[in-house]
Amino acid sequence: MEGGQEGGQEGWMDGRRAGRRAGRMDGRQEGRKAGRKRALRRCGREAAGMASVVLSEAEKLYIVHGVQEDLRVDGRGCEDYRCAEVETDVVSNTSGSARVKLGETDILVGIKAEMGTPKLEKPDEGYLEFFVDCSSNSPELEGRGGEELGTDIANTLYRVFSCENSVDLKSLCINPKEHCWVLYVDVLLLECGGNIFDAISIAVKAALFNTRIPKVRVLEDEEGTKEIELSDDPYDCIRLSVDEVPCIVTLSKIGYRHVVDATLQEEACSLASLLISVTSKGAITSMRKVGKGSLDPESIFEMMETGQRVGKSLHIALQKILDEEENLGTSRPKTEIPS
Amino acid sequence: MPLDHRRLRGPEESQPPTLWAAAAAEDEEDEEGAGAAARDPCALRPLFARAGLLSQAQGSAYVELGSGTKVLCAAWGPREAAEPGPGRLICEFRRAPFAGRGARGRPGAAAEREAEREAAAALREALEPAVRLGRYPRARLAVSALLLQDGGSALAAAVSAAALALADAGVEMYDLAVGCALCRPPAPAASWMLQPAEPEERRAAARLTLALLPALNQVSAVLGGGRGGPPEDWAQALRLGLDGCHRQYPVLRQSLLRAAQRRRSTPPS
Repeated sequence: MEGGQEGGQEGWMDGRRAGRRAGRMDGRQEGRKAGRKRALRRCGREAAGMASVVLSEAEKLYIVHGVQEDLRVDGRGCEDYRCAEVETDVVSNTSGSARVKLGETDILVGIKAEMGTPKLEKPDEGYLEFFVDCSSNSPELEGRGGEELGTDIANTLYRVFSCENSVDLKSLCINPKEHCWVLYVDVLLLECGGNIFDAISIAVKAALFNTRIPKVRVLEDEEGTKEIELSDDPYDCIRLSVDEVPCIVTLSKIGYRHVVDATLQEEACSLASLLISVTSKGAITSMRKVGKGSLDPESIFEMMETGQRVGKSLHIALQKILDEEENLGTSRPKTEIPS
Repeated sequence: MPLDHRRLRGPEESQPPTLWAAAAAEDEEDEEGAGAAARDPCALRPLFARAGLLSQAQGSAYVELGSGTKVLCAAWGPREAAEPGPGRLICEFRRAPFAGRGARGRPGAAAEREAEREAAAALREALEPAVRLGRYPRARLAVSALLLQDGGSALAAAVSAAALALADAGVEMYDLAVGCALCRPPAPAASWMLQPAEPEERRAAARLTLALLPALNQVSAVLGGGRGGPPEDWAQALRLGLDGCHRQYPVLRQSLLRAAQRRRSTPPS
C-alpha cells in the first residue's frame, strides 16, 4: 500500500505551462452565488474566514461517509493531493516569482530583494517580510474580511519561517550592522479553492528557489560616503538554498479520519484542522490547530505522522519540478504581448 | 536667531541601554542558564487563580504563575448583536506597556498591535470549542485579557484566565480550557520543559502552547514553532503538556468554587 501511494504521488506534480486564462471569472460567479445566501452562511464565513460553499446536510453526510471508506468525492484517497501545476519566473520585474495552481486554488508569489538595515538583535543577518493579499478572491473578501485572512496567513508564514535554519539569513548580509538584503515576499491569492496554506507554502518555496539576488559591495571612502557597487555581469548573483525550507501540510479532520488537501466542500464538513510545516528531512518546524472544533490527542499524534509522510513526498516531487524548470533556463518560451 | 533654551528636545526615538550592555549581560545570563538547567523539566510552577474580583465586569479572573506572569481577564455575558446566526465569541488580548522585560513597547506601534491580534486569534481558537455558542443565538460574548507582567507562558496563562472569567460570568461551557506552555532549550539533545520562565523562552529553540479541556480530554488549541525535530519529539512534548494541564485543572476548579461561595455569603449591595 505504501509503495503504491508513493508511486501515485510522484506522477501528480506537473510543470506544464498552464493556459494564461486563470479561473477568475468562475471565482466571481461563485462569489455572487454565495453572496445571495450570505445570511445563512455568515457563521461559516466567520469561522473559516474564507470563501465558503453552501452544503446541505445530505451532501455533508455523503462526504463524511465517503471519507470513512477512504473515498473522496473526486476519487482521491485520504492522503492524495490534487493535480498541481508549478511555474517559476513568471513576473520579470521581481527577483523571483512562482505561480501554483492546486486544483482550483491559484496563488502567485513575487519576491523582491531590497537593501535595508539589519535588525538590532541580529546585526549580521538579513530577514524576510511577508505580505498576503486576498482581495481579488471574492466580493466577501474585499476590505476587512480579506485583511484579516491576509494577516492570519502572514502570521502563519512568519511562524513557519521562524526556525533559524530554514533560510540561510547570513548569506543575505552585506555589511554587518549596516546593510543587508531584505526579501519582501508578496503573496497574491488569486482564487481560493480550498487548502490555501499548502499552495502558498509550495509557491513560496518555488519563488525562493527562483530568487536571484545581485552581488553587491558597499565601499566606503575616507570622507565616509558610501558607494554601492553592483557587479557588471547580470548572471552573477546569489541563489538561496531551499533544502531546509518547510512546506505546510493541512490535515482536516472529517468524521473519524483526516484528509490531506481538502477542497472547499470538504473544509465545510471539517470542524478542526491541523497545520503542520515539514522540512524535506521530515522535521516538523511548526504546528497549529485551526477551526472551532477540538481534537483528540490520539488523532493529533496520527495527524503528525501522516503529515510527516506526506510532507516528505511533497518535497521530493516539488524538487524534481523545480530542477526541471531550472534546466529549461532561457530556452523557456515566454508569452509575448501582441502589439 | 536666538537659541531656544526653554525646550530641551530629546531624541526622537529612545532605546534601552541594555542593548549596548549585551556583552556583560550575556555572561550573567549564561550562569543563570546553567543554574536553571538543574530544574526538573516536568515541574509545574506554583499557580494562583482567583475568580470574581472585578465589580464592573460580569465575570473576571486573575491568574499568576510562579515565574511572574500575571494575567487579568474580564468577560461579559451575552449581549444582543445585530447579525443573525449563532453566538460569537470576541476575544481581545492586551499587553501593558511595562509588561516585557526589555524595552518599553510603544502601545500604538504596528508590531505590538499585530502581536496582540495574533494572540487574540489564538485565544479565540482555544476558547471556542469550550463555550456552548449554540445556546446564545444572535449574541456576542466578549472576553478581554490584559497581561500585566510577562514572565514566560503568557498565552497559556491567558487561556486559563479567560476560561475562568467566562465561567465566572455564568456563560454555559462544556468544560474549562486549561493552557500550558512548553519550550525546548537550544542544546542538541535537550528535553522539553514545562512552563518556561521568560529568559528560557527567549533563548528557546522551539516553543509550544497547548489548551486542553481536561474533563473531555479534548485538545482545543495547539500553537508551536521552532526547531523541534521529528514528530516523536513533538508527540512527547504534547504528552507532557497534556499532563501539565490535567494537574492544573483542580486548582482552577477550586478557585471557581470559592468565588461562588464568596458571592453567596456577601449580601448583594
